[in-house]
Amino acid sequence: MPPKINGAFVEKVLVAFIRDEFSRCGCGKGLLGLSGGLDSAVCAALAARALGPRNVLGLILPYGTAFPEDVRHAAAFAGRLGIRYETVDIAPQIDLYFSAHPTKSRVQRGNKMARERMAILYDYSVREGGLILGTSNKTELLIGYGTIHGDMACAINPMGDLYKTQVRELAAYLGIPAAIRKKAPTAGLWPGQTDEGDIGFAYDEVDAILCALVEGRGSRREIIEAGNAPAAVDRVLRMVRASGFKRMMPPIAKLSIRSVGHDFLYPYDRGR
Amino acid sequence: MKIALAQIVPKLGDVDANVDMHLDILEKARKEKADLVVFPELGLTGYTLKDLAEEVALDPASDPRFRRIVARSKGLSVVVGFVEEGPADRGLFYNAAAFIADGKIIHVHRKVFLPTGGIFEEAKFFAQGQDFRTFRAPFGRTGLLICRDFLQYGSSYVHYASGADVIICISAAPGRGIAGGDAFETSRMWELMGEAVSYFSTVFVIYANRAGSEDGVTFAGGSFVFAPGGRLITRASSVDPDLVFCRADLSAVREARRKWLFKRDEKPEVIWRSLERIVRASED
Repeated sequence: MPPKINGAFVEKVLVAFIRDEFSRCGCGKGLLGLSGGLDSAVCAALAARALGPRNVLGLILPYGTAFPEDVRHAAAFAGRLGIRYETVDIAPQIDLYFSAHPTKSRVQRGNKMARERMAILYDYSVREGGLILGTSNKTELLIGYGTIHGDMACAINPMGDLYKTQVRELAAYLGIPAAIRKKAPTAGLWPGQTDEGDIGFAYDEVDAILCALVEGRGSRREIIEAGNAPAAVDRVLRMVRASGFKRMMPPIAKLSIRSVGHDFLYPYDRGR
Repeated sequence: MKIALAQIVPKLGDVDANVDMHLDILEKARKEKADLVVFPELGLTGYTLKDLAEEVALDPASDPRFRRIVARSKGLSVVVGFVEEGPADRGLFYNAAAFIADGKIIHVHRKVFLPTGGIFEEAKFFAQGQDFRTFRAPFGRTGLLICRDFLQYGSSYVHYASGADVIICISAAPGRGIAGGDAFETSRMWELMGEAVSYFSTVFVIYANRAGSEDGVTFAGGSFVFAPGGRLITRASSVDPDLVFCRADLSAVREARRKWLFKRDEKPEVIWRSLERIVRASED
């Protein structure tokens, strides 16, 4: 399993990271999508500590009235943190699009919704003069459980090196309400969807395998010998391999002596 | 002697801003009557330079910005990290450390071990230093190391064998590992080496790391000073910027060497002959 974290130390590092990145851009405002779930609650709490609650805007972006409880949780938590929040219903544009281009695929509809939310966040980013905080965790990034150019799109990601089980620990340390911490994690793309249903295993199991693979640099055989079920190991390894493209910039065909993405190499944080 | 460890957050790629930051700290250190101020690796430039390395490179002997620091070292010793491009090696960029004392550059060390692998890519952008030399500092014979140099333990041995009483390591060490402590796990690695080198070489080990983050990587802070015999004198905060002062009594080197006879019994000529045989065999 991923190591148990010291919540206070991780909070300190991540709050400093958020502050550093924002101050380098000369930007004091942050915004993020608030789903009513655990990851966005943790991210909002970190952002509120780093930037001050009044400088954080949570956007609640429901599809109609599909998930009333999550909307209530998101709004209540924003109120508790003292951050601003706004609600934008994405149903009109989603329904308009799919009435012209129907599909039976829930995944396709879900990806479209995730990208609609991204587009609203980026529009608000300009309206607010703020930067978008991403909420993808290490587990999701590794198995590719996210929509590329959707929920994976952001300006900075404070949580991308914490496994889901570690996000839970951090959430408990940060005092995220039990109502949010205890409910089944879901991408909220269709009723009844849960992360663990989609992935096929519990997060504890997935994180144990990922940690043995990434932290432990274990081979398939070593991970199985450590006590993980072979079917689960194979499925997780497949997901990691298949989702590699989501974790990197698209390759640029190299033609010249010095090319973007290959050997024209500058730091992200250059002198800002 | 009073030592200041300047655990700063340099501005990436902005030499002018970093020179000002160094000068501010030198003034603070002067007010505190420090004798030695140690800044971190690449403190004048920031660490994650990549192709910026050539844009921020300078010749310490002639660069007016660097001369401002040298000019403000009257009555002080200062260790500064920067990218060096000397007149004799144009087009080569070294990750370098200068020891400055009382208005003069006494010594420049070019980093020998350039970590390249995992998150590190120094050898892609820097030329490699070729030598470890000690020099006479106002407080005693001293050797400089830069970050990874210190983790390759032969480097400290060379300084020890050439008579160092003080080994100064400047660093931009990222923090890695969050298994429960109130510092990054890798901070232990640096202290372990500091403790061991100060113990078995009966020297002072002064380690100045940086703070802040660049491109998502947080530097671990945790600068420290060990006195001979593995005695921790001071430790700066982990992760946060800091400026800590401590006193070091150089007579502790003599005391330690009377008590522990490692130095008296050292046989560099045997080590050298053995190493020579090994290196020659590997060349055949």
